[in-house]
Amino acid sequence: MTASSDAAAADVVTLTDVRKTYDVGGTVEALAGVSLSLPAGSYTAVMGPSGSGKSTLLNLIGALDTPTAGQVVVADEEVSVASERARAELRGTEIGFVFQTFNLLARLTAVENVGLPLVFAGVPRAERRERARELLAEVGLGDRTDHHPTELSGGQRQRVAIARALVADPALVLADEPTGNVDTETGSRVLDVFDRLHAAGNTVLLVTHERHVAERAERIVHVRDGELERIEDLDGGGR
Amino acid sequence: MKSIEAVRIAVRSIRSHRLRSALTILGLVIGIASVVVFATFGASVEAEIVGDIEGSSASNVYVFATPTDDEDGGFDRVVQPAFTERDVGALASIEGVATAIPRGAVDANSLTHDGDTVARQRVTATTPETFDEGRIVAGRGFRSGTEEAVLNERAARTFEGNVSVGDRLTLSLAGNRTHELRVVGIVNGTEGGLPVSDFAEGSRVYVPVDPFYRTVVESPSIGVRQRAYPQVTVVTDPTRTEATRTAVATYLREESDARRLVPAGTEPTARTSGDFAARISSVIDRITRFVTGVAVIGLVVGAIGIANIMLVSVTERTREIGVMKAVGARNRDVLVLFLVESGLLGVVGAILALPVGVAVGYAATRYAEVGFTLAPGWMAAAVGVGVAVGVLAGLYPAWRAARVDPIDALRYE
Repeated sequence: MTASSDAAAADVVTLTDVRKTYDVGGTVEALAGVSLSLPAGSYTAVMGPSGSGKSTLLNLIGALDTPTAGQVVVADEEVSVASERARAELRGTEIGFVFQTFNLLARLTAVENVGLPLVFAGVPRAERRERARELLAEVGLGDRTDHHPTELSGGQRQRVAIARALVADPALVLADEPTGNVDTETGSRVLDVFDRLHAAGNTVLLVTHERHVAERAERIVHVRDGELERIEDLDGGGR
Repeated sequence: MKSIEAVRIAVRSIRSHRLRSALTILGLVIGIASVVVFATFGASVEAEIVGDIEGSSASNVYVFATPTDDEDGGFDRVVQPAFTERDVGALASIEGVATAIPRGAVDANSLTHDGDTVARQRVTATTPETFDEGRIVAGRGFRSGTEEAVLNERAARTFEGNVSVGDRLTLSLAGNRTHELRVVGIVNGTEGGLPVSDFAEGSRVYVPVDPFYRTVVESPSIGVRQRAYPQVTVVTDPTRTEATRTAVATYLREESDARRLVPAGTEPTARTSGDFAARISSVIDRITRFVTGVAVIGLVVGAIGIANIMLVSVTERTREIGVMKAVGARNRDVLVLFLVESGLLGVVGAILALPVGVAVGYAATRYAEVGFTLAPGWMAAAVGVGVAVGVLAGLYPAWRAARVDPIDALRYE
């Protein structure tokens, strides 16, 4: 469960003056020149009201989208100029996504959902299953490997999703409101998992609008109107 | 992504919508099976007819007159007594020819057997060589110069009391001549002037040319009046039919009496049973192709079914596509997944359609009382088309799926 980068000082993500505009009958500027870097092994939370640009930020760092201007470098790959294919490979191998709505495939069992990224990376079936079982055991679901998502609780589903995000041993774990669809108690246990990931050396970026969730991180990046408002360093972050 | 994974995922997806997939496949099965049924039935009918023709008369070259401008491939017979005894003799002496059998009609009024009189317009006059051993079911062929007769089985049954070898028949000819005939043989089939005569299954009464056939003309080449026939069958070795036909045609064109005796606008022609077979084959082939073409419409409907269901599937699985892309699926992977799925529907449809088509085709041949013949070319084509239809029908939906934007897809409810 360690991040691929070995030099602690190296940045996993570097954003340089990133702009993103959408053309929806008029030009909407979602990001207006954002510069940010995520050092390897860091735990960062992004906070901001809805429409502040935090989803756009996440999509760019997650290589789901390309910027209108500026540079996005993730795991030494320049996303802004990468081909669709290269971005897909980057998502599959260097980035792990955790979504608010889990986004597990209902047809697949827990172990198959966790192994899904490895399917597209061309990893053999037996190896995928073994790796998926290991990760499910680590998130406390060793006895639920062959269950389908509908047979699992919200918290369990989110832990399956976290295991899926980690299966390719990515350089970066991206979480978008990971506690948004579970109750407080369960959410707290999900956040415990992120704490453990961080402790194990993973680079984590978490988007939330809840202060108490963001406070689990080492620092909070406040976003407003497409700009970085301020970066708040938290003492004792990453508890 | 490895191909095996694509197949695995596609199979799961198909199985997760059992009824929908089954109905889609059913549509395709009906399309492919119809093609197989019609193709099989056509091939069976063709094989049956061609087999009959070739089996019965592979060693024969048929000589008769046809219109010069016959666009029908030279099968439109002109029944005129143009082939003289001299022609028959010359044809028989061509190298490799076993015998030349003239055939003509003798106008009659009726036949009487044991007090039972049956009207009869004509009897067939021919030579004893016409009776091949295999065809005689009782007695023997007649001898030339005698008042003997040979009947086919059907003719023998036209009288109240069945005619058997040794019976006497009274033949009343035009001009009120009557002859007492002794029946010396019964043959099966309807051996006639052409290989297709067999299909008529008519009743036939055969009498010797001498003394019954009296149509005579003056041979233009030797100036002697002699018998002349509308049709001659040249019997040769089955392996030499083509060579013999060429020699016969050359003789007919350059030396025969017939070339001068045939009416204006007609010419003497030589045809093998292979010509007839080819001619009939081509007609049946055309019919088969047309009917099978109609069945292809069914296939198109099946294809539309696949395309339709795949489009629904893409819309339904938008979010799933988004997830797959988020975890590393390339556009190509998504495209392949959907293509494999629709291709699989095609393959399964084709595999199921084959036995169904063959079974229904078999039933149809049994119903039509023809021998069963498979049409492997058509079957392979039907399966190939089925798979192609699956892939083609999936092409557009798969392309749509591949183009799904993961950001929108992940937000899609």
